[in-house]
Amino acid sequence: MLSFVEIAKRSETGPLATADDFAMQNVAFRVSALEKKYGLRHAAGTYVNCDDDLADRAWQAGRELILQSGLYSLNSRRVIQFDEQEVDERLAAATAEFTAGAGKGAVRVYRRDVEDRRPPVIFGGPFNADVHESMFVKLNEAFAGEPLIDLLLLPGYLKNLDGVEIRPNSGLSTRAAMLYARWAREALMRAGRPGMPIVGHAVMALNEIASANEDWGLRVCDPRAFAIISELQVDDVTLTRLAYYLALGAPIYISATPLIGGYAGGPAGAAIVGVAAHIASVLLGGDVMHLGPQHVKYKQQTNAMSLWMGSVVKQAVARNSRMINTTSVTTSGRPGSLQYILEFSALALSVVTSGSHLTGPRPAEPLGWNNVSPLMCRLFAEVGRAAAQLGRAEANQIAGALHAKYQDKLDLKDAPVGLPFEQMYDVRTLQPNAEHWALYEQGRQELRAVGLPL
Amino acid sequence: MAEHEAIIERMRDSILEADDDEAVAAAEAALAAGMDPLAALEAGFSEPIRELGEAFNRLEIFLPQLVLSARTMQAGLKVLERALTTAAREAARKGVVVIGTVEGDIHDIGKTIVVAMLRSAGYEVHDLGTDVPLPQFINVAEQTHADIIGMSALLSTTMLRQRDLLELLQLKGIRDKYFVIVGGAPATQAWADSIGANAFARDAHEAVLCLNARARNVTSRA
Repeated sequence: MLSFVEIAKRSETGPLATADDFAMQNVAFRVSALEKKYGLRHAAGTYVNCDDDLADRAWQAGRELILQSGLYSLNSRRVIQFDEQEVDERLAAATAEFTAGAGKGAVRVYRRDVEDRRPPVIFGGPFNADVHESMFVKLNEAFAGEPLIDLLLLPGYLKNLDGVEIRPNSGLSTRAAMLYARWAREALMRAGRPGMPIVGHAVMALNEIASANEDWGLRVCDPRAFAIISELQVDDVTLTRLAYYLALGAPIYISATPLIGGYAGGPAGAAIVGVAAHIASVLLGGDVMHLGPQHVKYKQQTNAMSLWMGSVVKQAVARNSRMINTTSVTTSGRPGSLQYILEFSALALSVVTSGSHLTGPRPAEPLGWNNVSPLMCRLFAEVGRAAAQLGRAEANQIAGALHAKYQDKLDLKDAPVGLPFEQMYDVRTLQPNAEHWALYEQGRQELRAVGLPL
Repeated sequence: MAEHEAIIERMRDSILEADDDEAVAAAEAALAAGMDPLAALEAGFSEPIRELGEAFNRLEIFLPQLVLSARTMQAGLKVLERALTTAAREAARKGVVVIGTVEGDIHDIGKTIVVAMLRSAGYEVHDLGTDVPLPQFINVAEQTHADIIGMSALLSTTMLRQRDLLELLQLKGIRDKYFVIVGGAPATQAWADSIGANAFARDAHEAVLCLNARARNVTSRA
């Protein structure tokens, strides 16, 4: 079976290509041809795909793409190619279930089917928002205190320490990586969930080892996260991380963000790239595959094209493989606004009914520090649970109704600015303030009004 | 006149179909027919590429088509440039841009879109690629007599390099020579203001609008 060593070797010995040629010849032209070959087209007005045959064709196209294009190694400028046997063997051996975390906080992460009635696993937390050092423990404690959040997600960027901005790979960045892990563990302890798993990474690859510590840092039971670079690219940092994670034995969480309007073309092309990236994640040894459907214009994931694209990719993967997959939810509206709720609910409906777990939510363009809300993550999880009781046709109808409410404010300049954590919570008690509770209730009412069984 | 119109039509089609060979042939035909190269450039190449840029902004076309058409325009432009006087060349050129993703950051797509849109809007663009060391921005800007430096960064951590380049320009005493525009997912107008950049653009469309406004100001002051 294909090993990491073989992938690393191919990144040094595969065919040479410029980045431009890979993007145009290996991705853009091939995706365009596959889109035509498999008759993939976005039907405007469809937010959740209900066509099984289309999902299966998207899977075939994505599988063909990864076999034709391979992965591009940016630093060595070489293409890592795969053959059919390797792809099939790795897909057959893909992780279908694993346990993250420890003791009573351990969480079983499992694959879901299309219209699976089991609730999605919730990966929730600051999601790499800029979190100020003074609020790092409190904010993560508030997230860990939400019982519906299963795994604490990416506890936040520490952009500076003691008032000094952190330069990548500097001594300060190593100190930040250690404090990031230590403070995240402290937050779990303070929330009474010491065994809760943390999906984390040290931001800079060289600091991965510094942040790993069973007693005070990231543990072997904590999934480690990294991204495949758009489109279908890896670099030395990716492979460095992967080498370490595999040796450590931690679960591996890999994200991919195919870009609608970029080299993949429109939503159908991006769906093909999304499927190919999921398969690539399995080839790299990933245990959870995260899709972050991006959009060149809106830079978020709740526009009509991204909703549809996400549903197609998730259904293609759920129907044709044993992969565990999740979808990140990035919105135009920011926490503290009703639009934030409407947007994350629409995407949750689209992908939960399509076989995905949930990651997020977060605003695409946070305004300053700590622009995230644990209470909104609770509502996100509640929406995910409600969505798991629906079929795709119902989800499509409700997602469409929600989309109609926010579609005119997708532009990040027009989207509600929201509030930082400190203005939505009492930071002494870590409880939402009256205004934030009122927003939560208003959001639930709006969602019930369009038919979501909350 | 009918011959001239037919040549303009060929030039337009070459851009819309991203046909490099036809762009070169049509540009040669324009010169052979005694057409004003500046007028041919505007009607035959600049106008359709602008239309494509607007279509991309409306997502009626996607990045590959824009990149290919921008390359086609470069091929045709080389032919016409031979016949342009220095003054006409300056008139045709809105600005010289040196652009790249800052060091430590290998993200490419956003910057590539900006490059294609700027070329389609008539700018001479020197794309330094990704993971670009700060001195390289300055060296290439000096060598190419650029007036604009663009920096992209996708990560909060690498965004700091945008600040560092501005400090470096200041240190070398050449800050005022360049209009510096920054962008990338973590960048904001507040960030641009805080580091003393001239402008911030959320996306390629904004970058073009911003630099066009600058070009109009420069022209009106001249």
